[in-house]
Amino acid sequence: MAAAGGGWAAVCEKFRSARTLSAVESRKDPETEPYRSKYSARALLQEVKQLLSAAEEGGEARVLAVRRAVLEYELGVNHTDTEELSAGEEHLQRCTQLLEPHRLSPDCVSLYIQAQNNLGILWSERDEIKTAQTYLESAEALYNQYMKEDGNPPLDPSEHFMAEEEKLTDQERSKRFEKAYTHTLYYLAQVYQHLEMIEKAAQYCHTTLKRQLEYCGYYPVEWALNAATLSQYYLSKQCFMESRHCLAAASVIFSQAGQVPSAEDNETEQDQQDLRQRKAEIARCWIKYCLNLLQSARKLLEDNIGELDPDRQLELKAQRKKEEDEKEKGRKKAVLFGTSDICDSVLAMEEKVSSVYPLDFQEAREIFLVGQNYVQEAKEFFQVDGYVTDHIEIVQDHSALFKVLAFFEEDYERRCKMHKRRVDMLEPLYADLNPQYYLLISRQLQFELADTYYEMMDLKVAIGNRLEELDSHTIKKINSLAQLAIKYYELFLDSLRNPDKVFPEVLEEDVLRPAMVAKFHIARLYGKLITSDSKKQLENMQTSLEYYTFLVDYCEKHPDAVHAIETELELSKEMVGLLPTRMERLRAKLCPFI
Amino acid sequence: SVEGDAIKVYVRVRPPSEGTVLTDGDQGLCLSVLSSNTIRLHSKPEPKIFTFDYVANMETTQESVFSSVAKNIVESCMNGYNGTIFAYGQTGSGKTFTMMGPSDSDNFTHSLRGVIPRSFEYLFFLIEREKEKAGSGKSFLCKCSFIEIYNEQIFDLLDSASAGLFLREHIKKGVFVDGAVEQVLSSAAEAYQVLTMGWRNRRVASTSMNRESSRSHAVFTITVESLEKNNEIVNIRSSLLNLVDLAGSERQKDTHTEGLRLKEAGNINRSLSCLGQVITALVDVGNGKQRHVCYRDSKLTFLLRDSLGGNAKTSIIANVHPGSRCFGETLSTLNFAQRAKLIKNKAVVNEDTQGNVS
Repeated sequence: MAAAGGGWAAVCEKFRSARTLSAVESRKDPETEPYRSKYSARALLQEVKQLLSAAEEGGEARVLAVRRAVLEYELGVNHTDTEELSAGEEHLQRCTQLLEPHRLSPDCVSLYIQAQNNLGILWSERDEIKTAQTYLESAEALYNQYMKEDGNPPLDPSEHFMAEEEKLTDQERSKRFEKAYTHTLYYLAQVYQHLEMIEKAAQYCHTTLKRQLEYCGYYPVEWALNAATLSQYYLSKQCFMESRHCLAAASVIFSQAGQVPSAEDNETEQDQQDLRQRKAEIARCWIKYCLNLLQSARKLLEDNIGELDPDRQLELKAQRKKEEDEKEKGRKKAVLFGTSDICDSVLAMEEKVSSVYPLDFQEAREIFLVGQNYVQEAKEFFQVDGYVTDHIEIVQDHSALFKVLAFFEEDYERRCKMHKRRVDMLEPLYADLNPQYYLLISRQLQFELADTYYEMMDLKVAIGNRLEELDSHTIKKINSLAQLAIKYYELFLDSLRNPDKVFPEVLEEDVLRPAMVAKFHIARLYGKLITSDSKKQLENMQTSLEYYTFLVDYCEKHPDAVHAIETELELSKEMVGLLPTRMERLRAKLCPFI
Repeated sequence: SVEGDAIKVYVRVRPPSEGTVLTDGDQGLCLSVLSSNTIRLHSKPEPKIFTFDYVANMETTQESVFSSVAKNIVESCMNGYNGTIFAYGQTGSGKTFTMMGPSDSDNFTHSLRGVIPRSFEYLFFLIEREKEKAGSGKSFLCKCSFIEIYNEQIFDLLDSASAGLFLREHIKKGVFVDGAVEQVLSSAAEAYQVLTMGWRNRRVASTSMNRESSRSHAVFTITVESLEKNNEIVNIRSSLLNLVDLAGSERQKDTHTEGLRLKEAGNINRSLSCLGQVITALVDVGNGKQRHVCYRDSKLTFLLRDSLGGNAKTSIIANVHPGSRCFGETLSTLNFAQRAKLIKNKAVVNEDTQGNVS
């Protein structure tokens, strides 16, 4: 270029300062003038643009066009950064127009993709997500086409304003190009999420995470948390293999976080605490993994009264043998994180817990134990003092782990002890909790405790039925468990009352089923209470009838409630029919001469 | 329980600032108030009608806004309920005027003073009345704190030297800001003083588009504790009143209120930093119950989560500017307000007992 020489060097210098102002200095701008450096950068870019038009005469048209496109791009980003969208759009559009004919050539492709990324962001700010999608998908397509047809590391946009000797290495070029494309995928992940194309969004999140690892563009802690969260998506889809892989990778990458010396070497206590919290969060994701795996297995194995079905068990075991994990292997290739080193550690981590459904107590116990270890780990950070909600949620998970393990336990006495463990961990928390601030958790605990006592009572009855005759100890036990279950169901129902202690005429959708189940169970519990005193028995039957009647009446008045409690309603109707006759008979026995 | 439990939503339309109507070519207004609870937005092709609990038109006085929005919340606060009043809206829509009053005066005897100073007056009026009624049997203790949430960090507006503070939970006391200064109040005048002092410490920024916009949320909390002696029995009751001035809605990119915007990748190293939030959103729609997402609610929602669908009385005042240039923001504010009416505690009692009826 003829007009180059000192003039060109000055232009490059200005361009460079503008970029530094925009990217580095702007972060130090005072809160009262958040865009000060951006505005200065903008002024510099305008100057460069002026100088460039002055030089227009001598230059080669294509080179000039590309340089102008770079400036339009920078100005576009600058304006959108400072909340001036329309101006930003104009600049970005001009950039892509200038590049259109050359967009597949190595000196333009990266810039073109970045311009489209930014147009995507811009249109999303205007709530026009479909428009954003077209820009981003076309950026994605351009990347793929370029990699297929050329594939050489393309120029980075900033190189258009660099002296020959400063130009980047191929390695650096490729790194920056891949990063721009990773951004495209990251934005597409968001676009698909907003468009509720959930599966596709998850796939793009996964790919983004994968590329971050490949190109070393990640913060270990952040990456680990993202992977752990993604595992929870897979859980909701029952994809345990994928879920475990994400979690194992999360744990492995997280352990890197401690090793990397931070920029300021003396880490503050706050950072340390943050790190501990993140670790505990990942542990909580593992807990959910174990819990889900166990619960899903239970669903597969249970018969129509919720007990383990031995036929089903044999069937599934045979099926498992037949099904070599061919299918899994195929799926696995598609989602694998990391390159050799990391990959090995991840695989080692995966081996510590199964990703197939446990089919007997032994297998279930192994998963339970892994889950329980993570419960301890999570509780170390989330102590009740300071983290009430989190702490209680973890304890609830612990209780749920016991509950599902008990399903696999065949011995009723031991099963009962497992439920007792649940009571022991939940009851003290409930006693301390102030429902003024924790109404919801408080209700959950009431219900859970009631349910646990209810289950224990059922087990004691089952144990008692095997005996020739119920001994007084067992009777006492059954009655006291039933009373405790009633107590907690009643506490739950009381929590629904309004400030004037009146029970709501219409139950809110979210408490409808629990409230009905509570009423139904109380009715049954009164039916189960054992007493030799016939008068007392009559009273219990009367109470039982009242609760059954509540269900029937409520559903008559609110027919839309029926769908929530169909089975219970049917049985209640039956009981409302039966009980009065039974009571009549009992009364007759009591006073035979009337 | 139909009365009082759901979040109440009020919309207030501010008058256009002087001269706006003249400069705006097309008559200027993008909405009209149809009645005391409906508003029509002149959108094209079809106008939209919104219904709220109460709509205050441009002529509505500060006193009448206070009586309809706040009075009843302050009263229930005296009866032991927690209460929260939010102001929401874009910069320039009149949030601060509604909550505080005219911006240039610290003088809360001003006839245009806002909801916050009026709440103070009413609260202390009620306290005095109670005390007179009950004689020496009843005593009150009022404390207040004033914090700011900026960039997901918490600062104490009553102690400008303090660094970032943390939210913690106590099994008896709920969520609290650890280390926040608490000042004892004995009169409305003292409350004004505290408020004025703290207000000066708020973070405000100017950009070339917005003359001035507050970039932080400010939360003024009054704790009212009453102690009643009845023979030998001592009855202690405590409740919170939160008065919240939110950051301009156009600034709240990081809270759930935003629409469909994409999160940008940070410039330097720290790229793709919001991927987690995207994934969280994916997990949220899953239908399984057992899952954990590693990202907490924003600090604001965590602090006020009792107010958003808990057992508290909550009102939201959505402020809008009627100018046609503000159409986009006004629509998004009204949409937000509409959604706010639906806020309920979604988390349900964990009940998986299926008619097990052996």
